[in-house]
Amino acid sequence: MNQFSIVGKDVPRNDARAKATGSAIYTDDVKLPGMLYGQILRSPFPHARILHIDTSQAASLPGVRCVMTGEDTPKVKYGNWRLFPETQDEYPLAIDKVRFIGDEVAAVAAVDPDIAQEALSLIKVEYEELPGVFDVDAAIKEGAPIIHDYCPSNISVNRKIKYGDIDKAFAESDYVREDTFHVHAVSHAYLEPCAAVAQCDLDGRITLWTSTQVPYIIQCLLASTLQMRENDIRIIKPFVGGGFGGKMELRTWEFCAAFMAKKTGRPVKFTLTREEEFLTGRRRHPMTIHSKVGFKKDGTLTAKDLKIYLDGGAYNAMGPTATFLCGNFGAMLYRYPSYRFHGQHVYTNKPPASAMRGFGAPQSIFATETQMSLAAEELGLDPLDIRLKNAQVSGDTIPDVATISSCGFIEALNKVAEMSDWREKRKTLPKGRGIGIGCYSFISGGVFNWFNTQYPFSAAEVRAFDDGTAHLLTMAADIGQGCDTVLKQILAEAFGLTMEDIRITSADTAITPQADLGAWGSRLTLMNGNAVLDAANKIKAQLFGAVSARFNLNVIHEIECKDGKVYPKGRPDRSLSFGEAVAMAQKINRGEPLVARGYYTPRNKGLVTPSFSFGAQVAEVEVDQATGVVQVQKFWTAHDCGTAINPMAVEGQLEGSIQMGLGYALSEQFVMEGGKTLNTNFLDYKMPSSMDVPPSEVVHIETYEPEGPMGAKEAGEGLAIPTAPAIADAVCHATGYRCKDLPITPEKILRAKRDR
Amino acid sequence: MKQVITLNVNGAPYAVAVYPSQTLNEVLREELNLTGVKLGCGSGDCGACTVLVDGLAVSSCLSLAVDMEGKAITTVEGLAPSGEVLHPIQESFIEKGAIQCGFCTAGMEMSAFHLLKYNPSPTEAEIKEAISGNLCRCTGYVKIIEAIADAGHKMANTGGETS
Amino acid sequence: MSLSHFDHYAPATLEEVFSLLQSKGPGARVMAGGTDLLLKIRHGALKPKYIIGLKNIRGLKTISFDASAGLTIGATALLAEVARHPDIVKHYPTIAQAARGTANPQIRNMGTVIGNLCNASPAADNAPTLLAMDAQIRIRGPEGERVLPLDQFFKGPGVTALVPLEIVTAVHVPAPPPNTGTAYLSLSARGKMDCTAVGVATMVTMTGKTCAGVRLFVGACGPVPLRAPKAEDILRGQELTEEVVEKAGTQASAESRPISDMRASGDYRTEMVAVLTRRVLREAHHRALAC
Repeated sequence: MNQFSIVGKDVPRNDARAKATGSAIYTDDVKLPGMLYGQILRSPFPHARILHIDTSQAASLPGVRCVMTGEDTPKVKYGNWRLFPETQDEYPLAIDKVRFIGDEVAAVAAVDPDIAQEALSLIKVEYEELPGVFDVDAAIKEGAPIIHDYCPSNISVNRKIKYGDIDKAFAESDYVREDTFHVHAVSHAYLEPCAAVAQCDLDGRITLWTSTQVPYIIQCLLASTLQMRENDIRIIKPFVGGGFGGKMELRTWEFCAAFMAKKTGRPVKFTLTREEEFLTGRRRHPMTIHSKVGFKKDGTLTAKDLKIYLDGGAYNAMGPTATFLCGNFGAMLYRYPSYRFHGQHVYTNKPPASAMRGFGAPQSIFATETQMSLAAEELGLDPLDIRLKNAQVSGDTIPDVATISSCGFIEALNKVAEMSDWREKRKTLPKGRGIGIGCYSFISGGVFNWFNTQYPFSAAEVRAFDDGTAHLLTMAADIGQGCDTVLKQILAEAFGLTMEDIRITSADTAITPQADLGAWGSRLTLMNGNAVLDAANKIKAQLFGAVSARFNLNVIHEIECKDGKVYPKGRPDRSLSFGEAVAMAQKINRGEPLVARGYYTPRNKGLVTPSFSFGAQVAEVEVDQATGVVQVQKFWTAHDCGTAINPMAVEGQLEGSIQMGLGYALSEQFVMEGGKTLNTNFLDYKMPSSMDVPPSEVVHIETYEPEGPMGAKEAGEGLAIPTAPAIADAVCHATGYRCKDLPITPEKILRAKRDR
Repeated sequence: MKQVITLNVNGAPYAVAVYPSQTLNEVLREELNLTGVKLGCGSGDCGACTVLVDGLAVSSCLSLAVDMEGKAITTVEGLAPSGEVLHPIQESFIEKGAIQCGFCTAGMEMSAFHLLKYNPSPTEAEIKEAISGNLCRCTGYVKIIEAIADAGHKMANTGGETS
Repeated sequence: MSLSHFDHYAPATLEEVFSLLQSKGPGARVMAGGTDLLLKIRHGALKPKYIIGLKNIRGLKTISFDASAGLTIGATALLAEVARHPDIVKHYPTIAQAARGTANPQIRNMGTVIGNLCNASPAADNAPTLLAMDAQIRIRGPEGERVLPLDQFFKGPGVTALVPLEIVTAVHVPAPPPNTGTAYLSLSARGKMDCTAVGVATMVTMTGKTCAGVRLFVGACGPVPLRAPKAEDILRGQELTEEVVEKAGTQASAESRPISDMRASGDYRTEMVAVLTRRVLREAHHRALAC
């Protein structure tokens, strides 16, 4: 294992002080002179044709500065999947039709929010209601209402994967089982509601402050929808109060703020209410999962045939990615000699589902894990053993998908079993108590260039100064996960400097180098970390040259940066301070500042990701036999994220993931009726509170990821995956109720008990 | 009709004209620019807007500004009035990794402040109850709970006196 | 999102409250903690023109206890104050428990027990226990005071026995007879921080081994918190054996009239009434015997 000075240390976040004192500026805190306040008029119908919109009364209300509808816009469709323009199905404001309750119809900007609100009530919209479809079955039925004219089947994405001779493998299996699972939608429930502030410069260019995970994507899509040039748009990401996948697309209010700022010459701010967030916000894809798996008598996997319908809601959003990934994840964790996947993304008249922490994996792997436990039961094996027998290992390949370069899965399984006293408890826990297991694997960023960027996937600019400091510029978006801190740590380590020596400027598209695809898919540590290292290495080459010249070193010397010094390895007496070395390098270049850019784009890494994380989790539960209420007593987790650049931050990701997984398993769901979300506040959308989160123990499994910066890989999302299957397995152990349709509710547990 | 009231916020008097329908949250954020106070839900469910009024942790989104005359209001900006030296709660939140996105942080700290004022060495269960009205989506609460316990120790060691 | 505009008054005496109510007419609402009222205004369910705050009225915040006269909780006494009041914790632990289980700490520092009652939600956390303990509600109007048993106060969701110009000034809970135990249990989908889906409270008075008196109330399972008289009949005069308690639970369940909503289905609620009834009876019985 490498010896690191700063990497691997519990360094506090660089923005912690600003956040602890309340001085950190979030988008809604931005206030500009003359600023107008925007509000959005939304569709009350799940599916309707817009016959006529009359904005005249609203426009004449004193204090109203701008009213706009889709007709005022350039009518350019957008969507994140630029590589396949046919998937770009959304307008900033509805044109001709609305497709879900909350679909954006018009917007108003006024001198204060009350006037804007009043103006909304003065906009008259004539609708012709159309029949709606609210689940996959209804949407794909013959003769179902068509939601998008271009897509008469309502199936907007088809994805197939196939390898091995699957029919032969099933025929030769000793045991085959088929199950159908239903998993539900949940909310990202980030604490900061979406907000955006736009300002138009004198020369007509736009600056947009927005709560986003993807400044570069917003820049590009805002440019195309406004029919401006990319460089005419500047996106600044202030502090962001969480995203979890819910803030990774261009959204209506971002477009409207920019459009209206241009039109009125005044800054315009939009801030969503919590009700709007819950009523219309993005959510995790509900899925219907049909899975058939084959085994040999001894539990060895032979084949898997997976068919998934994703309930995408009214627009594609990040649905195409979810469709790809749930299929890729279907083949993860275990060695399937043959595999077939067919994923179909289906339109329904509901708020669009999109990316959410885990991105297709929590759904797909819930099915995987449940079936592994079911198979173990029927084959008379311990659920742990059937997993150990089939577990993927380093060097395994998944045809057409990836090669697993580092994998601590078996170690994680063994460790979590030991920590939880699995074998003993699985046999001896009394009725009403249960222990269960769930596992995960996740990606460290995506390889597939669906955004069709012309730039490297990640970039970093590093400037070194003769005062011994360095400045890191990157478009990477810190949304609370801590990438600013982690990237600083990587650079500090590379330069042998301290955290205090590094300044960072991030996520401003006018200043930071092109480009970074954003904070999603757990990509930043690996991809941006590699870009930072690339830039650092270019600087170091110059510093090493300077030191070599200064001390007249033999060219065979290895040179390193450590403890603020640059020196030949083993000869710290021949050292320059970092600042002196920078000064020397500058002199060599006749005063030119020492600046380098670094890049990372995964190449020759298959279609999915450069590296995978792995892990296993055990949950112990107690189920009240009379009320069906489940109390999780404890979680044990062993996970492999390669080098933990900042263990405290990694633990933070894990603990947050557990909260999210706990909610997914037991308490969170959208209650919907006819396309309408009924629970639009935190009282009825039941996210776990401090009273609900049980104690947990964690062990990092040490691996070194060759593709990652200093051995690091994913840690931010994968851990949202195992919690639901672990709890479901534990509930089954406690009660005999095997959940195949999340969430696990007291009513379902009692019903199952009655039915037995 | 707007009426002029005097709000005592973080020890300073502010004369401000407000509508009777304006919440304390709106006035703190929009009129006094104390944007450390957040608005997460507007219905008293998430706790991001928590401030202290006469020593009690309340939701500023469900308090009327006109009701606040003559009361002492403390916001996150008042935790470390000198600016330079932080309150032990803030220090512990930073050191223990209790902050991720930071949007719940101010409210969490105010609930912690309320708790530790009356109960300098709370049990874990007491801490959990004290922050049960403060939702967090990032941390799973684990490090927040650790930070509050740690701040309690720090405050006990300094006799509860802070800057 | 802002609140619709209203004027605000904070009178110092009840007389001023009544004269304001009289002069302002039906557009006026009184407000104690405001946590329910302001929410309704925010959601557009109410658009009052005038709000009359009660917090400045001296004496309304009082919590008084006397071993023989019982407990009086004033209209503006906070949920948090009720939850931790030493006399309530000691002599009326179930009332303290219900107050402590209402909403979250911030709301408990703003909202009041009386406000929770006047909001008349069928799921009001403080209602079942106070009903079981035979509380009386003190109502003041311009004409003077009237006292109403709390079980005649709730008329429907959001509707009470108050007539225009009247306000509640206090709730009074008599001193429980000797050998009495009380208990309240509620269930909701998310642990403790949640709106109650089912709540059951009881007060049991024992004479020797026999149940001499019992009151049993179910919350969130009908338009108002419901009494379960037939279940009480099963218990009264009996030894509280497992069999009797079991039967009473089944009967209470039959007497409830829950609806299905996003918090729970009617069937689940019905079933849980039986479970919680049995549990509170056992607990109250145990406490009665321990006195």
